[in-house]
Amino acid sequence: MTMKTAPLFIVAACSLCALAQEKTPSSAKIHRDAAGRPDLSGIWQGIGVSLFGETGEVRPGEGRASTWGPPPGPAPYQPWAAGKVKELASDDRKDPNVQCKMSGTPRITGIPVPFEIAQTAKKTYILYESNHIYRIIPTDGRPHPADLDPTYMGDSVGSWDGDTFVVDVTGFNDKTWLPGAGHFHSEDLHVVERYSLQPNDTILYEATMEDPKVFTKPWQYRLILRHPPRDERIMEAECQENNQDLEHIVPGK
Amino acid sequence: MKTVVLLSILLVAPRAFAHHSFGAEYDSAKPITLTGVVTRIDWSNPHVYIYLAVKGDDGHLVNWALEGHPPNTLRRTGWTRSALKETDAITVTGWMSKDGSNRMAGREVTLPDGKKLFLGPPAQ
Repeated sequence: MTMKTAPLFIVAACSLCALAQEKTPSSAKIHRDAAGRPDLSGIWQGIGVSLFGETGEVRPGEGRASTWGPPPGPAPYQPWAAGKVKELASDDRKDPNVQCKMSGTPRITGIPVPFEIAQTAKKTYILYESNHIYRIIPTDGRPHPADLDPTYMGDSVGSWDGDTFVVDVTGFNDKTWLPGAGHFHSEDLHVVERYSLQPNDTILYEATMEDPKVFTKPWQYRLILRHPPRDERIMEAECQENNQDLEHIVPGK
Repeated sequence: MKTVVLLSILLVAPRAFAHHSFGAEYDSAKPITLTGVVTRIDWSNPHVYIYLAVKGDDGHLVNWALEGHPPNTLRRTGWTRSALKETDAITVTGWMSKDGSNRMAGREVTLPDGKKLFLGPPAQ
């Protein structure tokens, strides 16, 4: 981004903040579960052509912004790690998604297909269409297990900060990427997700990623999650049956 | 104009292949339009492939592979598995592969009845 375009970016980003605020009139009410907590249950999607359609169809009162809040800026990689990001980003064959591995947290939230949240009294389940990945998030106050084996999606525990559902995720392997090309991480990755249900039935999603082995400071990823306009069901979507791309990708793009 | 372009980038939701970036495999500078006969349909993940027999300048048939969105995305954007069948004559627009093989990223398919359906994302 040039110095000339930076102010425009900020103005546009602030417009998006305003857009998000505009959609949350204080008089509107959000749907709540039997315990009085915002009920996140339902099918959600952050981006993707099947959410907006090729013609840009949106529901009345909604824009097409997919992100909210201030722009997070570039991922704050340490200098040595930034070099590795550049190398990885130049070859899509190294992308775990292209290899059909599970997408990791929070990258899975931005995969352009829907997922379903099922909120129950003591656990919240997230069922992703992509690769049929699931997460089971206990909300009964239990901590993470003491000796976690590293996993693709990490271990999640949930709690409520007022009306915001907060999910603490740790215990990752280093085989996934964060959002963005080449954005690798270490097993020390720690993610805190915040799901904030809005009166217009969207969710403001924010994931804060910390990884002292590769980052110089925490980094945020934000999405507006919406209900898909139609076809409100999660379908099967495995990845490996006909993955021809690994043999046809040309590195160094 | 710059403002319009920038705002468009910010406000328009990304449209891309879920599985890989467009530029890793296809050349946005090489658009192509093909007309031919469908020889095979892989209604598969992570991409649907339509194979097309296209008559070359020398009269010989050349088989092309058209890559598209995965089945779930196509179903949500207007396709059904039976929208197309082998022996159908279609025209498809898209972009050529970078590796020189007879593959293309399919963008829009014109079906035998003239109906047009999007097969994949625009070039990026």
